[in-house]
Amino acid sequence: MSVRLLEVSGLSKRFGGVVALKNVDGHSVAGETLGMIGPNGSGKTTFVNMVSGHIRPDSGTLGFAGIDIAGSTPHQLAEIGLCRTYQAVRVFSALPVRQNIDNARLLLSHRGLDSAELGELTEWLRLDTRLDVDAGSLTLFEQRRLELLMRLVLKPRLIMLDEPVGGLAVTEVTEMIQLLKELRARCSIFVIEHTMRVIRELADRVMVLIAGEKVADGPPADILRNKRVIDEYLGTRHA
Amino acid sequence: MKLASDRALWIFAAAALALPIIADGNKFLAFVLGMTYISLLWATGMNLMYGFVGLMPLMFAGVAGIAGYAVVHLTREFGWSFWLAMPVATVMAALAGVALGLPSLRLKGFYFTLCSLVIQTVLTLAFIFFPTYTNGDTGINQIAPPDWFGGQLKGLGLELMIALFTVVGILLCAWIVRSPLGQRFVAIREDDILAEAIGIRVVRCKIIAFFIVSLYAGVGGCFYSVYIGFVSPRAFDVLVSMNIWLFVAFGGRGTIAGPIIGTAILAPIPFLLQELQAFKDILSGVLIIVVTLLMPGGIYGAWLARRRRTQKAMTDSARVQESRV
Amino acid sequence: MTDAQILILMSTLSTGLILGAIFALVAAGVTIVYGCVWLPNASNGQFFLLASLAAWTFTASFGWTSLAAAAGVLILGTALSYLLEWILIRRLYDTPNRNVAYFVVTLGLTQIMTGIFSLTYAKWSDQFTLPPVIEGITMFGPFPMPNNRLLVMGVSLLVLVLLFVLLRYHPYGRALRAVFQNREAAALRGVNVRAIYRLSFVLGSVIIFLGGILFALAYSYDLTVAWTMSITAFAIMIIGGPGSVIGAVVVGMTFGFTQAIVSIFASPTAATFSYLGAMLLILLFRPSGLFKR
Repeated sequence: MSVRLLEVSGLSKRFGGVVALKNVDGHSVAGETLGMIGPNGSGKTTFVNMVSGHIRPDSGTLGFAGIDIAGSTPHQLAEIGLCRTYQAVRVFSALPVRQNIDNARLLLSHRGLDSAELGELTEWLRLDTRLDVDAGSLTLFEQRRLELLMRLVLKPRLIMLDEPVGGLAVTEVTEMIQLLKELRARCSIFVIEHTMRVIRELADRVMVLIAGEKVADGPPADILRNKRVIDEYLGTRHA
Repeated sequence: MKLASDRALWIFAAAALALPIIADGNKFLAFVLGMTYISLLWATGMNLMYGFVGLMPLMFAGVAGIAGYAVVHLTREFGWSFWLAMPVATVMAALAGVALGLPSLRLKGFYFTLCSLVIQTVLTLAFIFFPTYTNGDTGINQIAPPDWFGGQLKGLGLELMIALFTVVGILLCAWIVRSPLGQRFVAIREDDILAEAIGIRVVRCKIIAFFIVSLYAGVGGCFYSVYIGFVSPRAFDVLVSMNIWLFVAFGGRGTIAGPIIGTAILAPIPFLLQELQAFKDILSGVLIIVVTLLMPGGIYGAWLARRRRTQKAMTDSARVQESRV
Repeated sequence: MTDAQILILMSTLSTGLILGAIFALVAAGVTIVYGCVWLPNASNGQFFLLASLAAWTFTASFGWTSLAAAAGVLILGTALSYLLEWILIRRLYDTPNRNVAYFVVTLGLTQIMTGIFSLTYAKWSDQFTLPPVIEGITMFGPFPMPNNRLLVMGVSLLVLVLLFVLLRYHPYGRALRAVFQNREAAALRGVNVRAIYRLSFVLGSVIIFLGGILFALAYSYDLTVAWTMSITAFAIMIIGGPGSVIGAVVVGMTFGFTQAIVSIFASPTAATFSYLGAMLLILLFRPSGLFKR
């Protein structure tokens, strides 16, 4: 059996009177690309926020590579190789790209990511010509790639992507999907998306959240034929 | 990002140490200079917090006050040498600063600033209502100058000593902001959530910053006491915190040169106004508003931005010419 | 109960009600502006004092009646608020994290006004007293209550009720609450956000001015009242929950009674200390305050 990375069970969260997540179980396996879909407000971002240590669950357990990560802060998670990006792109806009990357390298400076590795990453993400530009003046697509680069220098084992193609133009989506396909060789991925195409082309397995509950979990092809998913999610979207 | 060139820093250091000697002939000028140096030391500390970590600590003067009062108490009541009392008082102030600031580190933006204002107010009230240590509203006068090999360090000697501490403080600040720690500070200032997400220990960095900044406040507070020879709660109240903040913001936050420029221009003003202290309040009030509304980068920030624009225009036109060729 | 006990009880009750209502008013003004415009007005105490001093000038120098002075200050205050909004406040409407910038700007405003007051009023008098609006005394058992204070108490409470009605039932109140909750959504629904900001700033400031007038009518005062009021109003706003008018009223009333009770056996500074402590605790452990907006 392959190594389990993320292990979540019975995860629940309420905000005031509103149930955001109810008793969600799930796991991811090393080397796998796990997708998560669900309509707006179904609790996807809440799920990621809890796994990444931004909010505390009301109940449930969280594990990563055999370590109990409940109550861990984001920087502790980054240290053990679990990191994430944000739905609204987040870079140090006022600082040059180079310094953005350097900031991400602060954590690992003692472990050392040698300059050849970094150069290879930068070139792969096509940021090598943009190093002296302020991150704020990059295009959205470039910022998304910079985000990715800033996570990859942390040498993550699992990277959680919150809507990585959100706001991108159609051609850019195609390029991003290609990049993410190549990314699969570098680390495990957990990707939240609205765009069905991303899930279909990338994910080995998909979890479906509706109104805070997990309603399905399986290969994309099966999920996209699942009646409940079609009725409650795909159906309403295409109606 | 280059904050100030090394050569400029060393020239500044040499000039700052030479100035008291030149000004020594004129007592008033020498005194204004000495006070400006103390303000500059404070502004450097404030800049580390406000300009680099991005938090506005309005309790700064209160922390300086803890050290200022402590050094007087230690030398007067316990008979300690100033040179022993100063580091002890400074570390006390720094620990107090961290202890007071610790809970507020979870807050940011306006809430942090408000919290620091409340703490400053509590400190001011404490200075007034614990007269055993502070002699209350009246304050403590005739504070002796620091001892110096059997004699006293005053006049030019004391001014040189203050200048030395100030210069060392500025060089230290320049060194810190170029170190990985300073890089972390800037990351926290720009986006603390992102900083945390890429593995920076935000709270720990803020605690370290608080400690260092309180050291600046403390050393300044100790020298203030012995240089003026008189301390009262008013010397360490929120207006003083605001003033130091203004030096930084007016000159240019987040740069080494900015606070120097801001302090050099603004710190001497109250001494020139003499009888018209109320005008000083009005003037700094107006400046606070002007800086916030019209020049958030301060004088130096505006100059840097302008230079950047002209450089960009020059490279752009060069590119155009190249493409024509 | 002996007469003495009744006297103490009645005096505590009346002081508590008047102070509480004035605290509640000023804090409501501050909290409306913060909740809507995101402007924490650190100079609210100076605004408050400005109204009191202007009313004093109108009565003492111009010989107006207190009622005319009150009306004059309100008109002047409204004009001044619009002017301030036009010169300063609107320039930061679109700044991100503008609450810090506003806080700093109003701290600057505080310094300017403090400077002006110490150049002028501080030289003219130590204590400022306004003539009563109405004469006479009403007896409650053994307790004499000046009709003037009764009037102030009545007006303060009435204004609070009116403010409540305005915010709950008037279209402006609904628009205001929409902006409170979500600026973008409100803008999408056709609410003119900038106009609501302006109106809220003016309304909030005028309420603070009104608090100053009422205070001046009930008590004689000196220049230190500005500082105390600033701290008190901020403490009330933070504890009650920034943006919550209900919170401002409940906590304001509580503070009024606390002050009335504390001042029987301790100095007012003790009350200020306890406000600061309470504010600190709330800031650290429950920054959203006790009440919902």
